[in-house]
Amino acid sequence: MIAVRNLFKKYGTNEVLKNVNVQFDKGNVYGIVGENGAGKTTLFRCIAGLENYEGEVSSDLHPLKNHLGLLFTDPYFFQKITGEEYIRLLCNARNNKIADIENRNIFDLPLNQYASVYSTGMKKKLAITAILLQGNQYFILDEPFNGVDIHSNIIITEIIHKLRELNKTVIISSHIFSTLSDTCDEIHLLSHGELVKSVKRENFLDLELEMKEITVGNKIEKLGLS
Amino acid sequence: MKEYFRLQYKMINRRFKDAGFEPLLAYIILAAIFAALSAYLFYKTEFATYIYSLLALALAGKLSEIRRTEFIKLCFGDKKLQEIRIAENLIIAFPFLVFLVFKHQFLASIVLLILATLLALVNFRTELNFTIPTPFSKKPFEFSTGFRNTFYLVIGAYVLTVIAVSVNNFNLGIFAMLLMFAITLSYYSNPENEYYVWTYSLNPKMFLSQKIKTALRFSSFLALPIAIILAIFYQHSIGFILIFFLIGWAFHVCMIVTKYATYPDELNVGQAVLLSLCIGFPPLLIVLIPYLFFKSENRLSSLLK
Repeated sequence: MIAVRNLFKKYGTNEVLKNVNVQFDKGNVYGIVGENGAGKTTLFRCIAGLENYEGEVSSDLHPLKNHLGLLFTDPYFFQKITGEEYIRLLCNARNNKIADIENRNIFDLPLNQYASVYSTGMKKKLAITAILLQGNQYFILDEPFNGVDIHSNIIITEIIHKLRELNKTVIISSHIFSTLSDTCDEIHLLSHGELVKSVKRENFLDLELEMKEITVGNKIEKLGLS
Repeated sequence: MKEYFRLQYKMINRRFKDAGFEPLLAYIILAAIFAALSAYLFYKTEFATYIYSLLALALAGKLSEIRRTEFIKLCFGDKKLQEIRIAENLIIAFPFLVFLVFKHQFLASIVLLILATLLALVNFRTELNFTIPTPFSKKPFEFSTGFRNTFYLVIGAYVLTVIAVSVNNFNLGIFAMLLMFAITLSYYSNPENEYYVWTYSLNPKMFLSQKIKTALRFSSFLALPIAIILAIFYQHSIGFILIFFLIGWAFHVCMIVTKYATYPDELNVGQAVLLSLCIGFPPLLIVLIPYLFFKSENRLSSLLK
């Protein structure tokens, strides 16, 4: 379980998160949606302890960061580190010695090549593999489906289902609503730094329609396409 | 072209200011350090001219990276690209040329001038298509990535050791060992992305201890062959070799605690000056290391709980 209470975050005078209160329970998958700049990544960074903030982030395992697998939208890789070394580095950091990395390479990545020359999708798959092999209890996946091919999308969706089965807590952000509705138990809508809505699985369709209405409105008609 | 160099000048000044130094003062300090190190090199070894010229060319060569060249070409076109690259290489080589002339090494200075100019006309990829094998693959990242970036220098240090023994020059042998330590020290010169610190399930003290242990183990792995060769051929100087080896270790510890004392910011000029002072007077390390260790612990405490 991860509990976020009265969370505020400011960059200078710019208030990015305003009184966020949310709880992420074990064995559930949560989606965070919102427009660009709504504060999703900042919320993730605060939960991970990568940012200073006002308020409280607590968890049933302490410290939270030692049990958290964090996937950034655009994972960073050192120059001249191979895929295998990257996985080893992250697993070593959690004192988790992995002997058979090659066998666990479910995305068939060229692990002996430098990660910096991987394509965007391959980099994401490598980063996902590494945080999975770290043996985490919580997962924050910022845009896990972005730039990834259709086959890997299916694998990632199945991995998320498996994590739920294993009673792990998973938080995902995505701009593709269908990927969230396929995987999540609850979706939180973040707008201008505030959690404005939380929707359970049975109401996902309503949320999608509502978001479509707010986002699109009559903008397409304005184009005057004929 | 003028605008390009004005921009480069502004960017360099900005770095100094970010590090808390007045640019003019930083230029003076850097020039003094450069002169002192150059004088030291020429005092220590008869091969200084070659090492010095190679160093200048290696620095200039770093600017020939293909993506960088392509970017300049895209902005300024073919003709201007050559002018910019030649000017850049000459700027890099300038302090080296001045010192070579000062040392009456006229032939070497002319050769350096020509090679620096020619180097501006070639591009090469720094990212090779094959993976360079490293003995440090099991425990990434500093030594595995660093070794791949500097393997030719590592080979150079070993070659220098062989030369030192064959011409019976103990000082050159010690220089080769210190060069090896300097190479491995450079693996710790840049702060890594915060994710690679955050992800450790260690407290700051354990994290720093682990980094130090790895650095000492792996730097010894590379420097020990040189020390052993020197010990075999200069048995009466084993004490000397041991002292320099320990100094090399101490600098690794110092470098790591210095890096994390300002983390995630880069090493600032103040710290660079402190490190340089330690090169001149190594006993300073005894005071500096515990102080910086404590600072590093504080600095890392927000990321490592």
